Amino acid sequence: MVNLSVKICGVNFSNPVIAASGTFGFGREYNELYDISAVGGVSTKGLTLEPRTGNPVPRIAEGKSVILNAVGLQNPGVEEFIKNDLEWLKSKTTVIANVAGRTLEDYEKICARLDGLVDMIELNISCPNVRAGGMALGIKPANVEEVTKLCKAALEKTPLIVKLSPNVESIAVNAQAAQRGGADCISLINTLTGMVIDIERRKPIIANNTGGVSGAGIMPIALRMVYEASHAVTIPVIGMGGITSGKDAVAFMMAGASAVQVGTANFTDSYAIPRIVKEMEEWLSAHGIKDVNEIVNTLKLN
Amino acid sequence: MKELLATVKENKPIAKGIWSITLALPEPVGKIKGGQFANLSVGDASYPLKRPIGVCSVNGPDVTLCYQLKGDGTHKISQAKEGDKLSVLLPLGNGFDLGDAENIAVIGGGVGIFPLAAVIEEHAGKKNFRSYIGFRGKEYACLTEKFEKGGSLTIATDDGSIGFHGNAVQAFLSDYENIKCDLIISCGPPVMLRALKSALKERGIAVKCLVSLEERMGCGIGACLVCACKKSDGHNARVCKDGPVFDINEVEL
Ligand SMILES: Cc1cc2nc3c(=O)[nH]c(=O)nc-3n(C[C@H](O)[C@H](O)[C@H](O)COP(=O)(O)OP(=O)(O)OC[C@H]3O[C@@H](n4cnc5c(N)ncnc54)[C@H](O)[C@@H]3O)c2cc1C
Ligand SMILES: Cc1cc2nc3c(=O)[nH]c(=O)nc-3n(C[C@H](O)[C@H](O)[C@H](O)COP(=O)(O)O)c2cc1C
Ligand code: FES
Repeated sequence: MVNLSVKICGVNFSNPVIAASGTFGFGREYNELYDISAVGGVSTKGLTLEPRTGNPVPRIAEGKSVILNAVGLQNPGVEEFIKNDLEWLKSKTTVIANVAGRTLEDYEKICARLDGLVDMIELNISCPNVRAGGMALGIKPANVEEVTKLCKAALEKTPLIVKLSPNVESIAVNAQAAQRGGADCISLINTLTGMVIDIERRKPIIANNTGGVSGAGIMPIALRMVYEASHAVTIPVIGMGGITSGKDAVAFMMAGASAVQVGTANFTDSYAIPRIVKEMEEWLSAHGIKDVNEIVNTLKLN
Repeated sequence: MKELLATVKENKPIAKGIWSITLALPEPVGKIKGGQFANLSVGDASYPLKRPIGVCSVNGPDVTLCYQLKGDGTHKISQAKEGDKLSVLLPLGNGFDLGDAENIAVIGGGVGIFPLAAVIEEHAGKKNFRSYIGFRGKEYACLTEKFEKGGSLTIATDDGSIGFHGNAVQAFLSDYENIKCDLIISCGPPVMLRALKSALKERGIAVKCLVSLEERMGCGIGACLVCACKKSDGHNARVCKDGPVFDINEVEL
């Protein structure tokens, strides 16, 4: 038997494969396909204080081995989530609330509201914010540190994950900024920014023109960034970006991730997460490794 | 609802640019209702998204989907050979609920006719269908015998090469005074559905009308919220889970 359970900031995950924010809703729909207690955890759809209707459609497009999305944070608002979904989801698996806001105050308030209710909070700082002049807070290290500090101060019980944007000058510098701000953990990568064009109409496919790129094609970039970030900080790292197999997940953990998240792969294979868990277990036992934690940060550079 | 690795039994063209693929499912997926759809994998990992295609016919453990060659994905699917395996997630969406309706007007255009054919197959002999289906021209016409089985059929073509010269909505409107119907069901391109909605309003036709919508999809099961459509009350609905079938007055087209 291989031990697959991991502990991050004192929080237990039955295995290191967590559903990535925005691809798994609040878990109910995937639970119609399989019992989602099989997933290590769920990072919820990005929550905001108020309900949001999101962007116009089309919100999704496909490139080679990647997809693009611009959902625009459609969500029912944090109160509806707490009322309708939280208890059920907690009965199934470990719950990470992914949160976002338009202002710094929004971030503070939503963290305070969820403190003690969820297992972890993950800050999505890749969305437009007033404080950054409409750009994402996650771009400038100073903004990353500031929002982290404010959210950390609003939290007494729940550990804080800062989810880093890859669209930055230096991922290591931003990872350090999150750590300085008091983050308990970082996760990365959020989506890259891209475009797909319908040449017949001479128009981008996505109504928003650009969208966040995710899926298998981004994995080498994500892996490099997880490696750089995890070597720049002392707090734990959750890695993601293009994972579609157990071997991919193993690579992320070797690069320094204590756990991983899987997003786009759920669209390609609805049973992706339980399959990836099984494949990890098979790889570990084939290599005589008894505990998944043993592979974390074991990369040997050339 | 299940995702299964299905075996291709047959994959062949049935009209110009239109193919029909029959998949043998390795295990039952429960009842499939007319208007429900399947998310079919392209069978190549460089296409991460499955293609939503209406279920056109169910025959024991086999399902048939008819699809138009549109972009790279559907062209790739047309290369699947007998015996190949393709992943398929089904049945998805709500499908058409005909309720107590007895006399049903069916208005279909383009690829919209395929899910409608499944509705007729499901209820054949139990309800009376009056179908109006539109094609660009004669060489695109297919599945007409399926619609004939449900009752009566008017074919419409944009170029007038067979049947009524015009689109399916115009064919329906020109016939409306002569028929009896207590429900309209429709599926087709957005322009057709918009034309239908405004025609019903203009002509003061108050018969209940159900339409099936199309939107680009990610998960296909209601989790990712990429397939939003606007409801008349301002809220969003998910085409994949709350739809694809909606009351025409319930959604903005
Ligand atoms: C509920 C539903 C039922 C459908 N039923 C049928 C059917 O029975 N027969 C049929 O021929 N077509 C049907 N369609 C349309 C079909 O999904 C698209 O034609 C197909 O996805 C195009 O794929 P492609 O790879 O050829 O095109 P590409 O343009 O290469 O596809 C790129 C991406 O865009 C998506 N996409 C492109 N056009 C559409 C569209 N119109 N609707 C949704 N997604 C789209 C693709 O799925 C893919 O993810 C249906 C769509 C929906 C939503
Ligand atoms: C449809 C969709 C919606 C997403 N929504 C969110 C979100 O609300 N918050 C967030 O932090 N990340 C969001 N993401 C990003 C993913 O959580 C993840 O960081 C990214 O997709 C990379 O992982 P992947 O390649 O495994 O998908 C979304 C991704 C997709 C595809
Ligand atoms: S496709 Fe994911 S919610 Fe409809």
